[in-house]
Amino acid sequence: MSGASSVRLLSIPAAAADRLAAATLTDAVSYFNPDAVLLPGERNARGYAAVRTELDGVPAIHPQLGRNGERTSWYVPGEGGLRTADAGTAVETPALLAVQSGGVLADLRAGPELAAPDAGATYLFIPALSVAADRTSLSATLPFAVDVASIAASTDGPLAVLAGGQPAGYHHVWTLPVDTTPAGGRATPSETDSTLDSPTIDVPVVGLGATGEGGAAFVDVACGTDGAAAADAITADGFGLRALDGVGAATEERLADVGCRTRADVGDVAVAELSAIEGLGRRTAERLHAHAEVIETGEPLKLTNEQPVPTQSGRPPLCLDIETDGLSPTIIWQFGVYDPARDSYRAFVERTDPTDPAAVLGQFLEWLLGRHADRAILTWNGNGFDYPQIERFLRRHHPHYIEAWNDLRRYDLYTWAVRDGNALLPGRTNRLDDVADALGYEPRERGLSGAQTAAAYRRFMRRPDDLAAAPDWERHERYCRDDCEALWHVYEAIEAADRRDATDSGSGGASGRQSGLTDF
Amino acid sequence: MHDNDTRPTDGDRLLETFPRAGLGPDSASASVLTVPAREADTVPAGEVLDPILADRYPFELYSHQAAALRALGGNEHVCVSTSTASGKTHVYGLEIARRLFAAGVLAPDGTRAADRNERATALCLYPTKALTNDQRDALDSLYDDLGLDIRVRVYDGDTPTAERRSTREEADVILTNVQALNVYLEHHDRWSRFYSALELVAIDESHTYTGVQGMHAAWIIRRLERVLKYWGGDPTYALASATVGNPKAHSETLLGAPVTVVDDDGSPQGARDVVLWNPPPRDRSDGPAANDGMPTGDGLPTTDNGSSTNDGARADDDGVADRVPASVDAPKVFGHLTASDIETLLFCPSRKLTELSVERAKEHVRGGPRTYGERATTGIAPYHAGLGRRTRHARETEFQTDALRGLATTSALELGIDIGSLEATVLMGYPGQRQSFRQRIGRAGRGTDHSLAVLVADHRTLDQYVVSNPAYLLESDVEDAVVDISNDAVFASHLLCAADEIALGTDDLGSFADADRLRAGIEMWRRTGKLEGHPEAAVHYTGPPRPQTDVNVYGTDGDDYRLVLAESVDRDRWSLPEGLDLEPVDRNRAARDYHEGAVRLHGGQQFEVVSVEDSRPTPVIELAPVDVDYYTRTRTDVNVIEADSEESRTVNGFELHFGHGTVLVHHDAYDRVSVGNSETLEAGLPTGTEPIEMETQLCWIEVPKSIEQTLVETYRAYGVETGVAPDAADPPHLGYVAGLHAAEHATIQTAPLELRVDKGDLGGLATLVLDSHYAAEDTSGRDTDTTPEDGSPPESLRAAEHAVDARQRQLDGPPASGWFIYDGVEGGLGFARAIYESFEALAARARDQLRECGCGRPNGCPACTFDENCGNDNRPLLRASAVDVLDLLLGEASIESFDAYDPGREAGGETRRPALFYS
Repeated sequence: MSGASSVRLLSIPAAAADRLAAATLTDAVSYFNPDAVLLPGERNARGYAAVRTELDGVPAIHPQLGRNGERTSWYVPGEGGLRTADAGTAVETPALLAVQSGGVLADLRAGPELAAPDAGATYLFIPALSVAADRTSLSATLPFAVDVASIAASTDGPLAVLAGGQPAGYHHVWTLPVDTTPAGGRATPSETDSTLDSPTIDVPVVGLGATGEGGAAFVDVACGTDGAAAADAITADGFGLRALDGVGAATEERLADVGCRTRADVGDVAVAELSAIEGLGRRTAERLHAHAEVIETGEPLKLTNEQPVPTQSGRPPLCLDIETDGLSPTIIWQFGVYDPARDSYRAFVERTDPTDPAAVLGQFLEWLLGRHADRAILTWNGNGFDYPQIERFLRRHHPHYIEAWNDLRRYDLYTWAVRDGNALLPGRTNRLDDVADALGYEPRERGLSGAQTAAAYRRFMRRPDDLAAAPDWERHERYCRDDCEALWHVYEAIEAADRRDATDSGSGGASGRQSGLTDF
Repeated sequence: MHDNDTRPTDGDRLLETFPRAGLGPDSASASVLTVPAREADTVPAGEVLDPILADRYPFELYSHQAAALRALGGNEHVCVSTSTASGKTHVYGLEIARRLFAAGVLAPDGTRAADRNERATALCLYPTKALTNDQRDALDSLYDDLGLDIRVRVYDGDTPTAERRSTREEADVILTNVQALNVYLEHHDRWSRFYSALELVAIDESHTYTGVQGMHAAWIIRRLERVLKYWGGDPTYALASATVGNPKAHSETLLGAPVTVVDDDGSPQGARDVVLWNPPPRDRSDGPAANDGMPTGDGLPTTDNGSSTNDGARADDDGVADRVPASVDAPKVFGHLTASDIETLLFCPSRKLTELSVERAKEHVRGGPRTYGERATTGIAPYHAGLGRRTRHARETEFQTDALRGLATTSALELGIDIGSLEATVLMGYPGQRQSFRQRIGRAGRGTDHSLAVLVADHRTLDQYVVSNPAYLLESDVEDAVVDISNDAVFASHLLCAADEIALGTDDLGSFADADRLRAGIEMWRRTGKLEGHPEAAVHYTGPPRPQTDVNVYGTDGDDYRLVLAESVDRDRWSLPEGLDLEPVDRNRAARDYHEGAVRLHGGQQFEVVSVEDSRPTPVIELAPVDVDYYTRTRTDVNVIEADSEESRTVNGFELHFGHGTVLVHHDAYDRVSVGNSETLEAGLPTGTEPIEMETQLCWIEVPKSIEQTLVETYRAYGVETGVAPDAADPPHLGYVAGLHAAEHATIQTAPLELRVDKGDLGGLATLVLDSHYAAEDTSGRDTDTTPEDGSPPESLRAAEHAVDARQRQLDGPPASGWFIYDGVEGGLGFARAIYESFEALAARARDQLRECGCGRPNGCPACTFDENCGNDNRPLLRASAVDVLDLLLGEASIESFDAYDPGREAGGETRRPALFYS
């Protein structure tokens, strides 16, 4: 639950809510603990009903149904979640305006329903709104832009749009002209065009994922008083029984057949009984069972005797994290290295010339090779990102270091644990921050995603001499340090974890919990 | 059999000895062109190459090879545009060797000086995998002969994973195809050694990069250039092309850089006789006997022993509206030549026809004992991909060793495969492009030997044009290859790939693409969420991984239909290869060519479309192989709305426009046509497909008022002559608009004579109410008429028709009339543009064909006015009116010479005219 200064919304497409198991919805609601649940996409009464049964006092918002002829509704924070409000109520918190469809907005412009409850910020939920892109004319338009702009101009505080039909993870600030000229058409770089005569208004648009394609995802939207909506998506497979390693739709059904609907149920059942289920072998059943325990307790389990990092001199690995300006990097602008042996942290940051990736890379490598060539290096997904990126930049700028770089002992904890299946981790996703969080790690710095960090550096890149555009270097360094220390925290937790053999015979009655500890 | 006086490969000899009455060197239905021999023009290798290489090369260089090598040596990009077998591979093969010596990778004795090559590498691109393998062999064998240790490797989808890394790290020369390169650019850092050392990029068969494929190739090359710049490579490009009309413009558009053209062919060529053979007329109403004992699919015998169908005896005033198809006549020629011990290839459009042709050829020989004696009819066999490797190999060898005298083949033998020398080629129908024609006849005659080529024409526009205008084939001015990069939808998909490969920056503005266009594309994708950032910092790709796999080099839209074999098909029974290489098709082509019930040829094998699933995320079309005696032909109904003129010019009073617009197409019905004799077996079967709305490029011509009024008057009395039923023959404008319709058909049909275009890539619409098709002035600020609120296409073309009709009311005065020609692919292909530029030339050819056609019918025939895809069933059409319009356009007639011309007539006497338009 949130305070007066922000509202927490959870979104799941209505069609998905209809399909997902009850346990999944229960799990997600209890995990996210939202002030309200939005159901974007096509109207689906069953999905709406399914979500309502999970909620206690917190509203499920599905305006597509048009209950009681309502086409628009206002919601403001109240005790235990959002509550409906009349137009004109004065609050200083964010408020949610839910409309049945974009077509309603035109009427809203003129009508009394627009009188916003004097809100801090307004969040406009349009259940099926999606951006119309036309590649043949290189244009992308926001439907109902005229109406949205007009409404945004007339509300007191800022306005942001929650677009049901945009993919989860979509976030773009649209600069919309206010007045009768239609927005869209051939795209012009209007954001930097200061010669525009007509007034414009900036409206952030956040996607809720009801696109009809791809797997369903829960989108967690934090709505602040500043009109900024931060959204985070976690696939439905991270909840309920599907959160268990190896459980898909078919297995979920078969588990339900034997009375297992929740992870707790799975934990209560003996492994032997699980492996008797069609399609589940001994190994898979063991894993499921173990994973249920892991998520429940928040304690990881190792499934092997192997070490993530073969120890040589008894010294722990250096924990490395890098920051770039995006996914096709033009620069690695920060290298952060945490040394658990001395609890010390060293950062290499490019703060002056973002067009020169060679300098900071060279400094990092010289330090690493000069002082720590004998240490092991650990990353999270280094194999997928950090190492290939470093190698690419070395090839381009310092090719003489390639051989020495390749001689270093480099490891990737994500590969070891998740891809190679050597451990079971708590956390609903495999992102480092989720895993570390589930293992009890408390970061120094909250509220900055990797994407935001990259965006902040890109702003700096556009105007490197403008002090006002300079990033908060200290903050970014703390963020990077957090990643490194989170990595260390996860590593330690795995090192200390109990070992559970995947083929442990173990016996337990139907009512007893299978502990799974072995004597090996 | 061999006469001592004339060579067996003499064209005249064929005409004299072939058993058909009235056929001879003076016959009206066959003519012989003599192509003189060409001597080689050579230069000693030492004049162009350093001794270190020249001393090893055993031949003299042809003049064009020398010129190309000189230019490449000066780091100029080169396009060698000469005939096949003129040694183009050696041009880039030698250039590669030269650079390896210069870079010190090869020691003077030809061995490797450095094991790892980080100085001079080369990339060779081919349009197909088969060609890639052939050329690897060719280069290997060249370097063997020269004694040079150069590592030539193929890297494509067939390369085993285990070999990929070593190839990237060790090869000097890598051969691949353009589609594969598209995908490999994604992980270009693995290629850093190769790219940083890249000195030469060879693009072979570059003339094939036109239309859709050409657009994609052009963008892939531009993306390659970005990647190369990143790693420090700066290669010179060597393009090897067949002869096209515009090698410089084409190459420069492909590369985005200046190119030196070398097109003076120094290779030798033997003299050749080209026989243009028009099969005898056939009159359907006379029944089978007069129709030359027309064979059906089960191969009833035909005889040709001087029966009623004699050739040339029918006077022109009878008019020839139809002829025996080439599929019937060509095998006879083939049989005749092979029975005369002449090694011959017969080119057929399908596997089925290769088999059928061998049977017919044998029948012909058996049926002519007086001419052929008791010759065995063995010695000829079919050749196509369905035969299996062993059989094909055996036949190649047998042909080389003279055990087989003749092969009836599909286009499989147009390129590459060595079957030794042969003396004659017979073509079943004109292959549509002079380049293809020359490539096929070029298979015969090696070096300086005399050879024979026989083109057996079909009764359709292009073929008939060619036989009526023999000089056309010999014109050195060849069709233009059109590649156009203005299609924004294609640009948009490559933009994402480029951003994924290397973040976009200010360097790209004006180099990867025009700055405004780049910014517009970036902004669109930013709004859609697939790109983020600004060029001044960096623009990154943030969409789903591997956008390169969304690029289909054969289509323009992301929503392409995949073509797959239906589940139940037994591959072995049909001898279908494992990788049935069916590329996805865009929705317009899917609707036109792959509706349910369509029968298409692929690799010579017939396939029927058994189901179309457009509901899934990736739409799918299922095919099953069949063996039927018909093929299908789709009928297309068309309308044009929202046409917006961007450029215009005046030609003899006519206003010619080029611009963008929306075309509505409905491929609503199809016919079944017999393979054996091209008769329509069943007509008007429904396809069940929905209309499609396409934004594309168009060119159109507006007839000036005075001319229109005069022609309307002149042809006022024409009604049923235009082919319509009597009850529809009333409207006074009918004769005139029938002429526009015929002119539209003719200009599209003859476009391939000027441009390398497939007629199927174009569409057209003739209309009496041109202005109604224009984009309306935007007064209300809202979309008008035809487009429903949610942007979906109109329910039917009927709705669009009503809209066009209604639009008339909004016009200030009566509309003009004319016709449109548009690119049949979303976003356009550049053909409409090319037609706009060369409209006069096109109009001249169309007018010639219309005027000179021997059919004698007012509404024309398949050789002059008919279009097989006409949505209005080829009516109304009127030849004479069309000829007049075109003559006036070309300035070869003047309006004053018309009786009906009346300068005093009031303009705009009519308030409204019928909204007549025909596609």
